[in-house]
Amino acid sequence: MRPSRTTQMVLFLALCAFTVVNLTPIIWAFMTSIKQPVDAFSVPPKLIFTPTFEFHYQVWVEKEFWRFLINSAVIAISTVCISVPIGTMAAFALSRMRGGGSRGILFGLLAMRMFPHILLAIPFFVLAQWLSLIDTYPMMIMALVAINQPFTIWMMRSFFMDVPLELDEAARIDGCNLWQVFYQVALPVVRPGLWITSLFSLLLAYNEFLFALVLTGPNTKTLPVAIAEYGAEDLNYWSLSAAAAIGIMLPIVLFMMALQRHLVRGLAFGAVKG
Amino acid sequence: MQTQRGLWLFLVPSGLVISLVLLYPLGYAIYLSFFNYYLGGQPPTFIGFGNYVALFGDERFWGSIGKTVLIVAGAVSLEFVLGLAVAFGLYKLTFGVKPLNLLMFLPHIVTPVVAALFLRWIFTGRWGLLDAIIMSFNIFPPDWLGTPGWARFTVIVADAWQFTPFMILVLYAGLNTVDNSQIESAQMDGAGNWTILTRIMLPAIKPLILFVLAIRIMDAFRFFDQIYVLTAGGPGTATETLTMYTYALAFRLLEIGKASALGVLTLLLSALTIGLVIAVLYRRDKGAF
Repeated sequence: MRPSRTTQMVLFLALCAFTVVNLTPIIWAFMTSIKQPVDAFSVPPKLIFTPTFEFHYQVWVEKEFWRFLINSAVIAISTVCISVPIGTMAAFALSRMRGGGSRGILFGLLAMRMFPHILLAIPFFVLAQWLSLIDTYPMMIMALVAINQPFTIWMMRSFFMDVPLELDEAARIDGCNLWQVFYQVALPVVRPGLWITSLFSLLLAYNEFLFALVLTGPNTKTLPVAIAEYGAEDLNYWSLSAAAAIGIMLPIVLFMMALQRHLVRGLAFGAVKG
Repeated sequence: MQTQRGLWLFLVPSGLVISLVLLYPLGYAIYLSFFNYYLGGQPPTFIGFGNYVALFGDERFWGSIGKTVLIVAGAVSLEFVLGLAVAFGLYKLTFGVKPLNLLMFLPHIVTPVVAALFLRWIFTGRWGLLDAIIMSFNIFPPDWLGTPGWARFTVIVADAWQFTPFMILVLYAGLNTVDNSQIESAQMDGAGNWTILTRIMLPAIKPLILFVLAIRIMDAFRFFDQIYVLTAGGPGTATETLTMYTYALAFRLLEIGKASALGVLTLLLSALTIGLVIAVLYRRDKGAF
């Protein structure tokens, strides 16, 4: 058993090395965000310095990044509040239907997930201009709800499939109508799934960039657009934008901690990226 | 029978949203692709397939297809090979797998725009971490984002940074589903790790591999956020993929008609690619979906 222990150690160290290299960009950005610009641009890179959180304060408070955080939060939360309920209803129906109809719909939804978003961004922009909805929350929210539907439906359907049909039938015999079967019988069983789906949808809306770039403006700009546009107006630009980037990432780290056991399921249905 | 009829009602809200916000705009984009339409200019004029004909004669269009194929193929194969190697490593490891897996996964769910910025701060000339390290060995580094070849390389690395963790997680989950008795009997016969991986484990998870490749190809096709932040398609048009070119046409040159036509062609091309992958998938294993 001795040699295998050595192999295990070597393997472990190799994987640790991979992880460290993989995380370097994040660690580096974090260090830049707590360094004075003088220290940030030294060659070779400085590893010992006096940390400061003044740039975090500056970018979120003085540069008013909190505004974009509010925009992002309003848009992402509204998206989830519309997308998950209607998607869950559709998912329930698709999990209970017999025959080829539901198969066709499910396949159609999968096809919609393939749409290049740029092709949708063009008509969204033209229509939003026509309806004077550029730089308003509703346009952005509806766009995100729509692209979220295929994921929400597939994901929730997978949870409803785990609810035995006998449960429905028993409820029907007890005199429940279809809505009651859905709302009072099936939905409580899939409640954990509902949370998981909501969190994934929240992440998807929070990370979205292309539609936000095209549809939002000064009043509704989300965090990804704000940081992508944030230019080098002043000397502290690097430290400030690193501080903003780290701040944007924090909720995502929390999200990952909350969902670690469910990541594979979410990913299989195409969460995170459209 | 009555159950079935009532169920359709549950599809109505979602169906309405999808029809109004997804299918109608899609139809409208296809409609616009037949018009000569400059935003803010004269009213659109119908030109039939004029935009498509113009695109087929456009070198920039063919160039962007080439770059898309190069970047998609480069990124997806890099992610697959690296992802499989790490997933197999994790599979063999007997301790510490969970925290490692979680830490490795982080880059995948970072906001793509933020991920691109993280990488820009690594690759930027002179001040980036990579250049700082290389220069401290007194070697003069290449201009990662400023020369066409290296810019394409950097864009591929950026895609790989965000999506290798996805490959690792899914392939690792897949490897764990392989029947242990088969592996043990192969070990009895004296088969090495490589043989076990390629002869037993990979064939066993083939449907999953094809599925994951299909998803990655599909998403890599519309890869936008990171290129936009890292190179904006440049230098020149060195990293201008189909999506980037469509964006430039629509939102920089305001040629809405031509951009729509390009978007429709992108949709057809990605559908064709996915169609091929799914055809293979279904031929090999009917139960993949």
